[in-house]
Amino acid sequence: MNNSLLVVLVASGIAYGTPLLYAALGELLAERSGVLNLGVEGMMLVGAVMGFWTVQRLHAGSGISLVAAVLVGALAGALMAGIHAFLVITLRANQIVSGLALTIFAGAAGLSSYLGNDLNLADNPARHNFSAVFPASFQRWPVVGPIIFGQNVLVYFSWLCVVGVLFYLTRTRPGLNVRAVGESPAAADAMGIDVVKYRYIHTLVGGAFAGVAGATFTLAITPQWVSGITGGAGWIAIALVIFAFWRPELCLVGAYFFGGLQALAPELQARQIHLGPTELWTNSLPYVMTVVVLVLASASGARRRLGAPAALGTPYVREER
Amino acid sequence: MRIERRLELPRWRIVAVPAGSLVFAFVFAGFVLLATGHDPLSTYRQLFDAAFLQTGALGQTLTQATPLAFTGLAAAVAFRMRLFNIGGEGQLYIGAITAAAAGLYFGTSGGASAFAILAMVVAGAAGGAAWALIPGVLRAFFKTNEIITSLMLNYVAGTLLTYLVFNTESYWRETSGFNATVFPTSKTLPSSAFWPGLTIHSQGVILIPLGAGIAVLIAVLLWVLNTRTRFGFEVKVLGDSVRAGRYAGMRTRRKILAVMAISGGIAGIGGASQVGDFSHMLDADPNGLQKQYYGYTGIVVAALARYNPFAVLVVAFLIGGLQNAGNTLQGPDFPSGLVGVLQGIILFSALGGELLVRYRVRFRRGGAASVAV
Amino acid sequence: MSATAVTAAPPGAAVAMRGITKRFPGVVANDGVDFEAAPGEIHALLGENGAGKSTLSNILTGLYRPDEGEVLLYGEPVHFESPRDALDAGICMVHQHFRLVEPFTVAENVVLGDHRDEGGAFVLRRSEIEEKVGELSERYGLAVDARAKVWQLSVGEQQRVEILKALYRDAKILILDEPTAVLTPQEAEVLFVTLRGMVAEGRTVIFISHKLHEVQAVADRVTVLRGGRSLGTVLARDSTPRSLAALMVGRELDDVLLRGSGAAGREPGELVLELEDVWAPGDRGEPAVRGLSLAVRAGEIVAVAGVAGNGQRELAETIAGIRAKTAGTFRFLGKALQGGDPREAIGAGIAYVPEDRLGTGVAPSLSIETNLALKSYRERSLSRGPLLRLGKIREGAVNLIRRYSIAAPGPAAAARVLSGGNLQKVVLAREFSGHPKLLVAASPTRGLDVGAIETVHSYLRQAAADGVAVLLISEDLDEILLLADRIAVMYEGAILGEFSSADADVAEIGLLMAGGGRASDEN
Repeated sequence: MNNSLLVVLVASGIAYGTPLLYAALGELLAERSGVLNLGVEGMMLVGAVMGFWTVQRLHAGSGISLVAAVLVGALAGALMAGIHAFLVITLRANQIVSGLALTIFAGAAGLSSYLGNDLNLADNPARHNFSAVFPASFQRWPVVGPIIFGQNVLVYFSWLCVVGVLFYLTRTRPGLNVRAVGESPAAADAMGIDVVKYRYIHTLVGGAFAGVAGATFTLAITPQWVSGITGGAGWIAIALVIFAFWRPELCLVGAYFFGGLQALAPELQARQIHLGPTELWTNSLPYVMTVVVLVLASASGARRRLGAPAALGTPYVREER
Repeated sequence: MRIERRLELPRWRIVAVPAGSLVFAFVFAGFVLLATGHDPLSTYRQLFDAAFLQTGALGQTLTQATPLAFTGLAAAVAFRMRLFNIGGEGQLYIGAITAAAAGLYFGTSGGASAFAILAMVVAGAAGGAAWALIPGVLRAFFKTNEIITSLMLNYVAGTLLTYLVFNTESYWRETSGFNATVFPTSKTLPSSAFWPGLTIHSQGVILIPLGAGIAVLIAVLLWVLNTRTRFGFEVKVLGDSVRAGRYAGMRTRRKILAVMAISGGIAGIGGASQVGDFSHMLDADPNGLQKQYYGYTGIVVAALARYNPFAVLVVAFLIGGLQNAGNTLQGPDFPSGLVGVLQGIILFSALGGELLVRYRVRFRRGGAASVAV
Repeated sequence: MSATAVTAAPPGAAVAMRGITKRFPGVVANDGVDFEAAPGEIHALLGENGAGKSTLSNILTGLYRPDEGEVLLYGEPVHFESPRDALDAGICMVHQHFRLVEPFTVAENVVLGDHRDEGGAFVLRRSEIEEKVGELSERYGLAVDARAKVWQLSVGEQQRVEILKALYRDAKILILDEPTAVLTPQEAEVLFVTLRGMVAEGRTVIFISHKLHEVQAVADRVTVLRGGRSLGTVLARDSTPRSLAALMVGRELDDVLLRGSGAAGREPGELVLELEDVWAPGDRGEPAVRGLSLAVRAGEIVAVAGVAGNGQRELAETIAGIRAKTAGTFRFLGKALQGGDPREAIGAGIAYVPEDRLGTGVAPSLSIETNLALKSYRERSLSRGPLLRLGKIREGAVNLIRRYSIAAPGPAAAARVLSGGNLQKVVLAREFSGHPKLLVAASPTRGLDVGAIETVHSYLRQAAADGVAVLLISEDLDEILLLADRIAVMYEGAILGEFSSADADVAEIGLLMAGGGRASDEN
């Protein structure tokens, strides 16, 4: 039963979806404050390489190494986001160009590769990695075994993050404030909310999430360093935020759905199942669906209900005189 | 620190900012190199040699610069109207696919055929334009944000490209021969569909690809279009204020569709040039053309060139040199990733420098004295 | 100033601003302004547009820092670095353009940014704040549902939310910027009652306006600003609209200026614009122009009077072709027009001076010559086939700049560097250069200084004298009385009544502006 296609897909969807989920939560926080950051892929790769470096070079036990690695990955991601934040918030640069520049700067042909090379990380597999926490007997339980008990700590922690972000945005004052900043910075400013501070914090935290997402690759999914290891997951994460209507709980659903799609093509092939041009539609479906969702969301009237932050992508200038 | 908009733009800064960003990027990256135990001066000399001076370097740089010129021009023409088409990447793939089909269909063995080449250019332009019209139509009729849709379609195009050669026995895939049974590959074009180049004998042989000539021609046409025509006038107005354009009776929708088609068409010819000038086949390997990121780098090129078509050519050449050097110097004694880091820093400082052009930065202490910079 | 008595400031002023000077590049917005308001009074800040009222209130709310001068609150000097400092000091402002987050509920907007009980205020307790906001709105008679989303509210209700925001923070000083521009006279009356209730509790209300009558009706004292200087403070009950007007404009006004000269001997010509039962949607799709009929003849100025937001903008845009009508007939010089196409309107000879000058009227970053050719670039004289004749465009621009004496660095300078008055001259020069048959002018003098207003008025009069049909849309009744031959009052998308300017009765017009006289309206 645990080998049935559906169970395998859900289980691996959760595993592959976890980095997407972290990255999407981070991007969601930044976008909710009005900052579009297209540099997710770059931030993830730098988080991935720095997390991996920590685990390789820190001579400590498995637990401490891994926690430190995740923290270093988060810090690295936040640092990268800091560049974008400074350019687009303080200097009011074009958010699209700055985000793409960040991807080029930090991405597969940039800083992450430079660091991976200079720190000699490509040769060895990870000394420690996240693996399933529950004993094997739990994992043999039907259905819930592989799906719930077969996962690593990063998966469980991501659930906490979803709940935390959801609670933060909908049930707290700072959450209300950040939504106001993304929706109408002029209104927020008039009520004494520091727009610049809120945008900086959420862009940086967003980068930290992206860093953790990257570290999920090098510490859990494929515990090694290869240049460009994220393979475009950062772009899917950007799509995911839209797909989820800027809501954290839907990010979770979407991440596992997109993650499951990634596992679908090889699974179908292994089982000799042919469903049309499998590779074509499983790989492009996340993007096509995001386009469809965007079109539906842009229909008049729907915009308000679906929650795209109104000030997304626009700098805030208090005094234009 | 406070930032005020300048009322008048000082002319000298328009040149000084990109030049300054370049210098700043090299100095800053120099410190990074120093800190990580490399000698910046010798690294830069290596870089410069490999980009422009070595035997054959200029030809290789042109190989890199040609696609960047196309994607840069494609981005520049759209961004000028504030249509953020970041789908140049995908439009280039689709252009390569359609141009390869045209080349395979119309090509024959023998010398270069003007007809086959023209068919490839037209097919590439049509393919790229059609792909760009998807976000264009969505933007014009449903007001869907073109940034994300064009970005998403890049991945669909990449998947399609790979699929056509790797996962299905399509028109493009080589099915005969020993190699084809071992590793999936695309058919090679018949020789009459190979684009001819202009050979210059200087420091070895420099081949100027036909695509580079087409890019220069397009740049001239775009310049005329921008500055001398009613179309360019309307695009300029709509780029500054859509409301003003509509008020003046300009057809916004048509302009969105036309500009997206032109932008995608140019990127598509870039794809055609990849097939006709360089690979002579459809490079569908996920680690081949798709790892070059010509489309994204083209946006960087366009931004650095401040969307001026002639400046795009110059910047494409410089960035192409950088890319070429990065490819040539790959190896243990050259820091990998340095090229991306350099490009990133150049762009960051150009973006930051833009602020100096548009705004005046004032530092004030205690609300009393203010110092203008 | 000599004509009016200046009262001494009462002791213990809530707000005292002394010698405030604020300079912007090219202008001195405030030049040694003195201003004082006492606790428990409604204090009007009266002045023409450009007199420095907004700058002064922006200094008081911490948005700008003064170059010179000091601000005292209850006798203590204060230095605001940001709006937050001013908020914490108990100063709240209701801006002309509301600062509300549209997808949020009323209650969420009210508590937004509130940080008084730090720590315990981390968690947002919805029902608690909704209850609190509900109580508050009941106590001050500000009827609005705390759970409603702001975008669903009417403009008047949104204004109440803004006032609730101030009351929730227990603001001691409330500044309202032109609050009645969006209200009917009746709604304004309700607002005045609320404001009186607030000052009865010892709060201070600063009421910014350029409308003489309402300043008289609501204020205890009035401070008049002109050209960035304060001209003194008078008791409202001791002043008359005439004395205030004289102070505000800086000279005695004769009757001709207060009441227009009417058609002044002009014979209205042929019928130019005819609208019959026209319907057009607003931005949210709701009908904004509702069965409107109107006619304008050559050589006459017809003014549409009304409170902002009654479909005037939509009407102007429908005539200019920017907005498509959904029903009704639209005839121009006897010929039916389809509408919904600006190019058709321009071709027919309809010129339009939009309310939104910088953004619609001109493309702000583009050159003045581009903006002057914005509509004519398609014509034979400026283009040959798809190509532009750049030399001709330059030549035409230089001519227009000279003819309309536009103060500009040159034809290639960006439009945004121009002052409001010169910007409006660019728009007028372009519109008149198309030799229009009809000119639609929407709030053409909003935000301009006195000199520029007079220039714009003279161009409108000249146009009518030259046989152009002029449709003036304005919220400023004084301007309408000054210019119009006929006055049509617009309310909720329709014309409720028409008057010739000779027998126009301000009271009756005011009643119609509030929808009085239409029985079916009380819903």
